[in-house]
Amino acid sequence: MIQVESLNKRFGNIHAVRDVSLEIHPGQIFGLLGPNGAGKSTSISMMTGLIDADSGSVNLSGLNPQSKEARYKIGLIPQSIALYEELTATDNLSFFASLYDIPKNQLESRMEWALDFVGLKDRAGDRVSGFSGGMKRRLNLAASLLHDPDYIFMDEPTAGVDPQSRNKLFDSVLELKELGKTIIYTTHYMEEAQKLCDQVGIIDHGQLLALGTVGELLNQHGGETQISISSDQGVKEFKSNDVSNDLIQALQSSDKVYDISVNRPDLEAVFLNLTGRQLRD
Amino acid sequence: MKKIVALMKKDIKLLFRDKMAVFFTFVFPLIFAFIFGSIFSGDGGGSKALKVAVVDLDQTEQSQQFVKSIEDADEFTVTLATEEKAKDLVRRGKRVAYFILPKGFGEDYKGVFSGSPPEVLVGIDPSRTAEAGYLEGSLMKLGINRFEQAFSDPSAMIEQLDTSMAEIQQSDDIPAEWKSLLGDYLPKMKQLTEQELGDNSEFTFGGDGEANPMMPLKVTKQEEVVQRSGPKNAFSITIPQGVIWAIMGCVIGFAISLVQEKTLGTMNRLIVAPISRTQIVAGKALGCFMAQIAVVTLLFLVAYFILGVRFNLPKLVLAAVASGVCFVGLMMFFASLAKTERSVAGITNAFLVMMGMIGGAMIPLFVMPGWMQAISNFSPVKWAIVAFEGAIWRNFSYTEMMTPVLILLAIGVVAFILGTRMVKLEEA
Repeated sequence: MIQVESLNKRFGNIHAVRDVSLEIHPGQIFGLLGPNGAGKSTSISMMTGLIDADSGSVNLSGLNPQSKEARYKIGLIPQSIALYEELTATDNLSFFASLYDIPKNQLESRMEWALDFVGLKDRAGDRVSGFSGGMKRRLNLAASLLHDPDYIFMDEPTAGVDPQSRNKLFDSVLELKELGKTIIYTTHYMEEAQKLCDQVGIIDHGQLLALGTVGELLNQHGGETQISISSDQGVKEFKSNDVSNDLIQALQSSDKVYDISVNRPDLEAVFLNLTGRQLRD
Repeated sequence: MKKIVALMKKDIKLLFRDKMAVFFTFVFPLIFAFIFGSIFSGDGGGSKALKVAVVDLDQTEQSQQFVKSIEDADEFTVTLATEEKAKDLVRRGKRVAYFILPKGFGEDYKGVFSGSPPEVLVGIDPSRTAEAGYLEGSLMKLGINRFEQAFSDPSAMIEQLDTSMAEIQQSDDIPAEWKSLLGDYLPKMKQLTEQELGDNSEFTFGGDGEANPMMPLKVTKQEEVVQRSGPKNAFSITIPQGVIWAIMGCVIGFAISLVQEKTLGTMNRLIVAPISRTQIVAGKALGCFMAQIAVVTLLFLVAYFILGVRFNLPKLVLAAVASGVCFVGLMMFFASLAKTERSVAGITNAFLVMMGMIGGAMIPLFVMPGWMQAISNFSPVKWAIVAFEGAIWRNFSYTEMMTPVLILLAIGVVAFILGTRMVKLEEA
């Protein structure tokens, strides 16, 4: 379990993270959703012990993230491609593995597994500089999994990735969940959060505005569902809190129905309702 | 320690993967040392003549004639000097050898069948043993000229035979059997020469003179204790300069790589890994240090086996370690000053090139004017060069080595402490 309590971080006059508190349960995919500059990466940096918080605390299974024991449990996939481009994929993995005291007899099999996991086994001996952006992202993920961490922090892992590699990454995230890993996933793409995450925290200007499952967030902050019915009586549009009942009633009052459109609220709407702005503003 | 070594190995591997870094760290310094060494030593495809000092104490027609033949010979570049000056030039390594033509040289030079061969006192720089044989052979070749001169003029030959026969008869040292033999032989030879002169034909003696058992010259070697205070050859100067360029290449490369770890984000991986910040810094420092040791080793191997530079190995190791520590410290300091690769490259280049210019990496220290030599004391490059030169040609004692070594270590330690305090590893 990850427990975050009242985290605060300032960079000069900018209050990057304000009083953030949350709990992430083992085996969950937790999404931190917010626009660029919302405080997602700073929050992750404090949760992984990369930077110190001005105040507040982070607890990883009872451990301080900056402790040596906790570091063996953390896998960080940084937002940038944190790899040595002039080295081969194997050289990169071998180097990062050497920092985690992986026994020699397990090293080969761990590297092989990691490369296979991200679909780069056949490019093991190639220099990273020759990889596509998507392949680099996948290797970026593989480098963080070598030591079999319990907590995997992914900071915008799909930034600048082609759709094929993005889907491969989604599959990898879901596979990691099946392996029992706890995943903390930051993104500014609401589709990703909606598709992958068990729990989502919406963050803006360093503040955690809402926290819950996707369903809970939609119910609490998404607003009403928009229904549009085109029939022999014309086009009827209305908002509904009880879609099935309202739809049945509307259909019963018409002889001929030509088209029905149901627009359920999404996380974009949640963000809009919470902040008055679009997520991508 | 395993993690520090892993960091070091990774950085060395990255250095070798970067073709430009390899060029400026390993190849350029060699080219620099070789080209400038060749230019200054005059071995750049030009004359291979040995520089010798010649002293004519005899001052006779024959001695002057012999000096001229040495001057005209392709094998030698001659400096005429007094005996004292000539010996001093060899002792200080300025000339390979000196030739002294002592009093009586001219008399002996004329005597073909009697007396002693003309003596030449030769003092050779003991470190130039390779050239000694060549030098002696060349001198002998010039000595043979006196036979040619004697035998190519039949009138002079007859005169010489008369003088020799008179001297033999008057001599008390020559055994009676020899006197009898020569008394029989020389008149017959005179008769033959007169007959040849009468025929006015081309005169030759003994075929090509191959049967002549007489020595052309008596070369007397003199031991010289070299008290050299200058470099043996130009490469002794340019190799330390090349080493400095190589070390500067390492410093720039590693300072950039430390900043690059931050900008690329790999530093974040390192910080999150179970490795302390001290280990991260130590790994980078060890990588830079080992790269420097590698280039110093390579350059001095080339210097020893190809360029003929000789050095004192323990003192060279001392110089290499001290300069390694110094420049690792400077690398950390520079890396702490900048946030981007471009700015760290700019700062490091500007500082090191300036330090190199005033420190003797371009112009040798000993040819700098006095005021510039005084300024050079503020450059770590100067002390590194002095340390390396101390191990090569300055013949420093260990006590003398301590001055540059301690200065280098002090600069390195202070710069390293400042650098590690100022550097923010997590700053991306």
